[in-house]
This record gives sequence, C-alpha cells and structure tokens, in this order.
Amino acid sequence: MARHIAHRLLISLPVLLGVLLIGFLLLQVVPTDPATVSAGPTASKADVEAIRHQMGLDKPLWMQFGLYLGRVLQLDLGRSMISNRAVSEEIALTLGPTIELMIASLIWAAPLGILLGSLAARKHGTWIDRAIMAFSVMGVSVPIFWIGLLLIQHVGGAGWLPFQGRDGPIWTLAGLESIILPAITLGSVFIGPVARMTRTSMLETLAADYVRTARAKGITEWRVTIHHGLRNALIPVVTLIGLQIGFLLGGSVVTETMFAWPGVGRMAVGAITSSDFPLAQGAILILAIGFLSVNLLVDVLYAWLDPRIGVSRS
Amino acid sequence: MSELSIELPSRSVPSARAKAWRRLLRDKPAVLAALFLLLIVSAALLAPWIAPDDPYASNLRLRLCAIGNARCPHALLGTDQQGRDMVSRLLFGLRATLALGFIAVAVGGGIGATLGLLAAFYRRLDAPIMRFIDVLLSFPPILFGLAIAAVIGTGLNGLVVALCITAIPSIARIARGAGQQVMQQEYMEAGRAAGTGDLKLLWRYLAANTWPVIMIYMTLQLGQAILLGAALSFLGLGAQPPTAELGSMAADGRKFLTIAPHVATLPCTLIFLLVLAFNVLGDALRDALDPQLRQ
Repeated sequence: MARHIAHRLLISLPVLLGVLLIGFLLLQVVPTDPATVSAGPTASKADVEAIRHQMGLDKPLWMQFGLYLGRVLQLDLGRSMISNRAVSEEIALTLGPTIELMIASLIWAAPLGILLGSLAARKHGTWIDRAIMAFSVMGVSVPIFWIGLLLIQHVGGAGWLPFQGRDGPIWTLAGLESIILPAITLGSVFIGPVARMTRTSMLETLAADYVRTARAKGITEWRVTIHHGLRNALIPVVTLIGLQIGFLLGGSVVTETMFAWPGVGRMAVGAITSSDFPLAQGAILILAIGFLSVNLLVDVLYAWLDPRIGVSRS
Repeated sequence: MSELSIELPSRSVPSARAKAWRRLLRDKPAVLAALFLLLIVSAALLAPWIAPDDPYASNLRLRLCAIGNARCPHALLGTDQQGRDMVSRLLFGLRATLALGFIAVAVGGGIGATLGLLAAFYRRLDAPIMRFIDVLLSFPPILFGLAIAAVIGTGLNGLVVALCITAIPSIARIARGAGQQVMQQEYMEAGRAAGTGDLKLLWRYLAANTWPVIMIYMTLQLGQAILLGAALSFLGLGAQPPTAELGSMAADGRKFLTIAPHVATLPCTLIFLLVLAFNVLGDALRDALDPQLRQ
C-alpha cells in the first residue's frame, strides 16, 4: 500500500513540475515589464533597475524559475492583470463553487449510473441490457454543451429555473435553484461511463464462484446481486469514478462557462481568452493540483476498500 | 443457422479475419454507423463542390432565417446570424472538425503506437516509456487544451497540438499490450533466429501483426478527439470565427437560442451523430476482433 502511494507520488512529481513550468512560462509572456509597472510612471531608469534586481528579474531564467517555485509555495501567484486582485484570492473565491458543482453532479449521476449498470448486468442479454448500453454509448457521444444548450433553451428559456450565475450558497433556495441546471448538465455525461463500468465489473463478479455458492444456498436473486455482486463490483467502480474526475473536470470547464457559474474552469477560460496571463497560470495550476490530489486520494481509498492490495504489498 | 455451419468441421476453415468480418457484418448498428460515416466523410471531402453556397458569404437581409421559412427558399436548413447558408456552413464545419480529429489521431496515435511498440520490443525501454505515458495520463485532456491555448494563444494550431498530445497515451498502452502478445509468438523467435534486423522485425513482424488492434482503438479515440476539439472550440479556445467548425458554430448559435435554435442545434446534432457513429463502429470492431471481450 505504501509502495502503491509512493509510486503515485513519484508519477505526480514530474507532472507537477511540468505544470509549474507552464505556469512560469505564462508569466514570461506577459507583455509588460513587472519592474516598470511596480516602479510607477515617474521612476528613473536607475530606480527600475534597482527594482528589477530586487525582484530577481536580472538573474538567469532557471534561477527565476527557482524563485517562482518559492513564491508558489508561499501561495503568491501574482496579481490578475485585469482585476488587479491577488490570483490566490481569485482562486479562493472560485474554488468553492467548482467543488459544489462537482459534488452536486456526482451525487445524482453516480448512483443512477451504478443502478443502471447493475440492472443491465442482472438482465444481461435482454432488451433492457441492450437499451441501457445503447443509452450509455449515446451518453459518451453527446457533446456536453448540447445538453446545456437544450436545458437553457427549454427549461431556462421557459423561465422555470435560473441558468445564469450562482444566486447564492447551496443551502439557500436561490442557490439551490441555480445549481440544478448546471448539475444536470455535468452529471448527465457521467451516467453513461459509470453504467458501463458497473455493468462490466458486475458481470465479472456475478460469474465468480462465491456468487454461485450464494445462489446454491438459496438466497434470493436480488440479495445475491446486491450483497455479493454489487459490493464486490463497486471496488473497481469507485476507482474508475475517481479516474473519471479528469473527464468531469473537462465537463465542468464547459458547464461553468455556459451557465456563467463562478468556478475555476470559467475563470481559466476567461483569463486565457482575455490574455490575463497571471490569472490563467493560477487557474491551470490549481486545476492540475486538484486533479492530482483527487487521483491520489482515490488510490488511497482503493487500497483501503480492497484489503487484498494492502496484504499483497506489505 | 449460419452459426451451426461454422461449428461443423470442413476443409476450408474460415480464417480469423474472415470470422471477424462475418461477425461485424451481422452487427446491424455497426453496419449502419459505417454507412453513415462513409456518407458523412464523402460529404465533408466533397464540400467545396457540393455546397450550395459560399459558407462565408453573409447576407444580412437573410439573418437567422428558420428552416423552411419562405424568406430564404434556397437555404434548406436556414441561415445563421449573418445570413450565411447553414447547409454550406455545416458541410465546411464538418470538414474542419473531421480534419482536426483525423490529424490528431493520426499524428498523436502514430506517436503513441510507435512508443508502445518500442516499449514491447525493447525491454529496456519499457519502464521509461511507460512512466512517460503515466505522466501524460495523469493530466486531464482539457488541461492540455487550456494550457496550450494559454501559452501559444487561442487558435487552430494550439488546438491541433493539444488534441495530438491527448491521443498519445491510450494508443501507446494498447500498442504495447498488443505488441507484447505478438512478441510471445513463435514467428518472432523464428525471425530473430533467422538473423532478421531489428528494424525489419519491428516493422514487418510487430507492426504488421498489431495494426488491426491499433486501428480499432484509433477509431474509438477519433470520437473522443472530435468531442474534445468541439468543446475547446465551443469555449473559444480553438477555431476562431468566421472559420466554419462545428464546435464554434454551436457557440455562435448560443446567443440566438430562443429566437433561432436551429443555428446551435444543427451543428450539435451533427457532432453527436458523428461521435456516436465512431463509438458504435469502434465498439463493434473491438468485439468482432476479440469476441472474448464481448460481455
């Protein structure tokens, strides 16, 4: 188990370094000279040089990268070129809504996917199975923005639910109402993959010897499915759901942008299209770090759920 | 009945490939998907000749003309916000979207397949190549798109690079798996014993015996590449207006959703059908080639 996690960390390290390098590069393409900006319009040339030296801008690039790493560790990600607020402040504001949206999407889509997958596996080979599988293929083929557009056109356009922005925290009625359409959009593309994974995993477990034993003992079919099948089938499903977080992240960038949801994804797209390099750097950094930490967490969870991994590795 | 005849011992045992073909042709959705793709790809290729109008010629008097509106009898599927003919724009958009997907999968998949086969062929290279692939895999595709757009600016160039990179890891894994299986075959050993050079072994033995599997996964990857490309263009990070590309066309139509829904709905539907067809065909090809995977 410890080795398993160590391996994960080892893979994550170069990724993290790559992301930081991209972040550093982004700050290099900023068209204005930060020293000139911070010196102000009335500063003399010598003053600018002094500030340049003080900020480390006269050092070779690799040393500047080292300084950058140090700043990132202190959560100093620079200032947005448009709002002039600290990037870390902007991120702190957007992180909550993004997590909120992801949880709101997972909370209904993952159980529904698992339910559909189990149903398909139990009715293996029947028309129910085929219908669920057809639905699942459609789910992985549909562009997420189309679902959003349809909901905006038919539900939002009819005035039933708000579809622009976040009207408040989720525990208020207005906040709850405004998260419904984005959460439906983002969750809907998640059902198909989850149903498919659950079905495959379930078919494997239902064919196992202990399930046959359970059947031979005369336990009812649903009890077998849930207690013996689903419980064991869920282990790979949990990991796969975790690994699909990247997929969910992609969807959330699109969903947030469509519904003007004030999250990290929308901020990233906005920063890139408006050439706000420091903000784009911060947004990409936080998205990558979030993704890596979720993956790590899933790995730990997997090892914890499946005792065989812990035993075989220790 | 036909299943019975296969079971019977006969002189001419159908080859594995013939069996796979037969299984594929019996799969009705797959045949339908293949025919649809054939139609769509030829329409995209022939777009400059079959498009009824110039996709960039705007006519402000015919703005947002609905399907079947008497205002624009020549535009079968109506016009967009600049009065441009939707049929022509869809054909050209299809061309751009398909081209993006094909380039991404051909280049990215090609790099991935090479890496995977090298990893299978040279044991020494296996660990470093697979670590590199792991690194690529631990980066969600959309982040490649965002990061590359941020560094080199929004536009088609960045989009192509991002799509290529995201196609590399999954194809590399498949190629490695298929390559390792081939490496265990006796003819590999025979080839080596006969003194065949590495390059020839790699190309004539390894690549020649793994390409069907690799191609199938490329088909599946094509759907994903198209979907990602359309999403990035929709966000304004890929194809820029006035370029006709299905994702950016959908984004354009977003502003007129209530008064002229067809402007956004048509490109969205087309993307959906295109990706669906690639996925259905890819799944069927995989099942036909390896029936044991079918569950």
